[in-house]
Amino acid sequence: MNAFTIAALALLAGYVPLGIVVLRAREIDALVALEACGVIATLCLMCLGEGFHRGVYFDVPVIAAATTWIGGLVFARFLGRYL
Amino acid sequence: MDVLLGVAVAVELLCCLGVALMTNVYDRLHYLSASTAVGPFLILAALLVREGLSSQTFDAIATVAILFVAGPILVHATARAARRIDFGRPGVRPRKEL
Repeated sequence: MNAFTIAALALLAGYVPLGIVVLRAREIDALVALEACGVIATLCLMCLGEGFHRGVYFDVPVIAAATTWIGGLVFARFLGRYL
Repeated sequence: MDVLLGVAVAVELLCCLGVALMTNVYDRLHYLSASTAVGPFLILAALLVREGLSSQTFDAIATVAILFVAGPILVHATARAARRIDFGRPGVRPRKEL
């Protein structure tokens, strides 16, 4: 294990408080926590790509960042219109 | 490099705690925007220190750029949806008679 894999593992700890918000808070607050989960996942994938020394793995966080953004916009639009 | 990574992880975890501990959605959005603006650049800096300029770092730069540019747009859209849920549809207020 190197510093980047340890950082990726440490970033995963951020899912615990965000998961509590997703489960317990109202929908729009859960959406904020879900967007934060996307940021954490993107950074975690970036750290794992460097930790494993595989250049191909760096394509995954690019896609994750883009899809997280699109998904958040869709959810925000849906919640704003129908709640 | 280790210091940059440590600070980045600490900032991200602090933002997660902030999202969890704040009481309303607008306060939570402050921490969400901080998590897209501070932590990714520190991780990118650690990556640049270790690897220099390579194809991997260019992918990482693209990832951080997407997060940095798209983050405020997402925060704005979420805040707009929250405002619409809390206060109703925004519209033009009737003009006051002078």
